Amino acid sequence: MPGELISEREEHISYAYVEKGKTYSTVVGLYSNGKIVPLEGPYDPLAEDTVVGVITEIKFAGYSVDINYAFPAFLSNRESKEKLALGDAIIAKVLSVNEVKDVELFEAKRLPAGSLVRVSPVKVPRIIGKRNSMIDMLQSSTGCQIFVGRNGYVWISGKGNDILAEKALRIIEVQAHTQGLTDRVAAFLREHR
Amino acid sequence: MADSAPKLLVDGKRIDGRALDELRPIKIVARVLNDAEGSAYIEWGKNKILAGVYGPSECIPKHDQSLYRSIIKFRYNMAPFSGLEEHGKSGPSRRSRELSKVLKEAFENIIISESFPKTQIEIYVEVLQSDGGTRCAALTAAAVALADAGIPMKDLPCAVAICKIDGHMAIDPGKEEDNYGESDMPVAFAMRNGDILLFQMDGMLTHEELVQGLQMAKKAAEKIHKIQIDAIRKVYDEPKEERLLLIK
Repeated sequence: MPGELISEREEHISYAYVEKGKTYSTVVGLYSNGKIVPLEGPYDPLAEDTVVGVITEIKFAGYSVDINYAFPAFLSNRESKEKLALGDAIIAKVLSVNEVKDVELFEAKRLPAGSLVRVSPVKVPRIIGKRNSMIDMLQSSTGCQIFVGRNGYVWISGKGNDILAEKALRIIEVQAHTQGLTDRVAAFLREHR
Repeated sequence: MADSAPKLLVDGKRIDGRALDELRPIKIVARVLNDAEGSAYIEWGKNKILAGVYGPSECIPKHDQSLYRSIIKFRYNMAPFSGLEEHGKSGPSRRSRELSKVLKEAFENIIISESFPKTQIEIYVEVLQSDGGTRCAALTAAAVALADAGIPMKDLPCAVAICKIDGHMAIDPGKEEDNYGESDMPVAFAMRNGDILLFQMDGMLTHEELVQGLQMAKKAAEKIHKIQIDAIRKVYDEPKEERLLLIK
């Protein structure tokens, strides 16, 4: 909980702040092993993140890309080999984030036709699972190709059951903080296949 | 007005049967709106208030932008059907401008806005039904909505009013006690260290009464803080796919 005392000592961990030698939480989250896992929150862009985005504007030197942040990211012509059109979905990596959080992308690849699902960015690690376990299961049982961006955009493409895939994503999103989630999602997928 | 003033204290009980240090029943539900990043609904006695948080998003107009922090915007509004007589007058008024300003300033001290340069965080509070003490209820609900949105805050603040009725200090005045009492003083606390984020006062109080009132308010604030935390916890204890607001 915001303002909840985490440690009597000064500790520098993310989603916490230090006041008078004590450490307090700033978000609603789970605290364990000296780490806070937030349960809700906006996307905070970081270099090297893999993100899914949508082209919103074509400029002389490159593209503006919506990456679920307050401002669009910039993708330079030099960093994208293929020619992109307005509305194309891409998967790219974050090249740099500056002091005022302007984001630049690189290694962009166009995604095949599909649909975009927006989930809470802090739930993304759960959607991917340990060593991709969750996402592998989703892909194999729905027959869709799923691209997950760290920014909370998920791209579902392919000829599989995309409606089922989206439903499963919603279940993961609302139950992300519970245990035994993979088993429950597996049962859900078996039941509705 | 004074000649029609009702008796506010009878046998140590207040007009609605409460003791001097008793709060009205409070109920908070977090995450009730689908499109807001965070939201909360509060029923505080007869007050019914809805709070929604949007952002951080691009700050518009651009001349309001700051390169160093996120701009916080607060809109407090009373619905046209929210109250009797003058109390629930709707639309932009001097009163709602004032409340938006003081509540915004309370949150500016709490939100860690440096994490989102050039953006704005919008907080909307709609009073659906009012019965005195709406600014305290509004702040309490907005704090829950902000926590639900995952916006980093130094604290989860809450507020309560103190009043003086028939010469006695009491907390959480209702509409009659507010109108006919001798003094009304809303206070907002940051619960981790007892910082005061909002402090207003109508009427007159002596120093001793003020100190006594603040102590009563602090005790009440702890109870409200617990209700806030329970409301947020409930979102995760009973996860629901549909966000739905059910008003009985």
